[in-house]
Amino acid sequence: MMSQTDFVQPPSIAVWLVNLFTPAEKGESILGDLIEEYSHLASKSGVAVARRWYWRQTAKTVAHLAATGLSAAPWSTTAVVVVGFLLLRFVSGLPERAVFAVLERYRVFDYHFHTYVFLATVGIAIGRVITSILGGCTVALAAKGREMVATMMLSLALGVLAGVAILVLLAWGRPLFLWTLPWQFADWIAIVVGGAIVRTRRLAATTRLTGA
Amino acid sequence: MSGRDYLGEFEHMVVLALLRLEDRAYGVPVRQEIEFRTKREISIGAVYATLDRLETKGYVKSHRGEPTRERGGRSKRFFRVTAKGVAAVNRTHRALQSMTEGLDLIRSYS
Repeated sequence: MMSQTDFVQPPSIAVWLVNLFTPAEKGESILGDLIEEYSHLASKSGVAVARRWYWRQTAKTVAHLAATGLSAAPWSTTAVVVVGFLLLRFVSGLPERAVFAVLERYRVFDYHFHTYVFLATVGIAIGRVITSILGGCTVALAAKGREMVATMMLSLALGVLAGVAILVLLAWGRPLFLWTLPWQFADWIAIVVGGAIVRTRRLAATTRLTGA
Repeated sequence: MSGRDYLGEFEHMVVLALLRLEDRAYGVPVRQEIEFRTKREISIGAVYATLDRLETKGYVKSHRGEPTRERGGRSKRFFRVTAKGVAAVNRTHRALQSMTEGLDLIRSYS
């Protein structure tokens, strides 16, 4: 029924997403199956229908692969996440110290007050996002084959802790500094981005090796 | 593992699909077979997660086929049920039959 269908390129972002979560040894069969059905559906019902189907399959498949990735090695993944959490706690203050060291060294407060305010607020926040990307990369390097699961778990753990902190601050009637919330979100996303960078580079290296 | 395990609901469906498909059993037809017969959308990720679990238990075995153009040059992974897998299906069937024996499900509980 489907053997004579031509190959049709599925949405590249969806392919990339499935690749991020698929173990290397299973990637070929899972992606091959998805592409085969996508090509068949595209020729039978049109590309729009096929694309919708592919995205639905991608969302469900990624959820399954993330869950099985964690259940396959729960302890080692948790250990990597805990070490990553401690590492991030250790390095999270570095951007602030670095920015203030520069600001004091060049007496920015005295000569460029607006620049001082920008660097002391947004500059530090950007520094933290970069630190989070590097932290995500480190966690992903340690969690070989489960890069996305480990970085997502770490990001989720930080999110839960932040949620608890907000509730505690609310209960105590303390100020919330709501302007920092978008930056907190950016930090959590940056950790997952770090995982995606490492995973993508590993995939590229594997493809080069198998293609050679 | 005791070797006397029963199959879970989805494991049961996957093994039955493999038995129906015989030597044509790889991800696409297995997913379509279950989807066609159960009338619910199944993800390929769920099928492979279950197949991998069944392979770890020794209920199915897999081998790679040839890469094809329609799959972007990727190969198929064919599955077949082992004798241990067939025994597990029979065991599960007998347990279900024993549990439903004497129950008039349609009239009493609908």
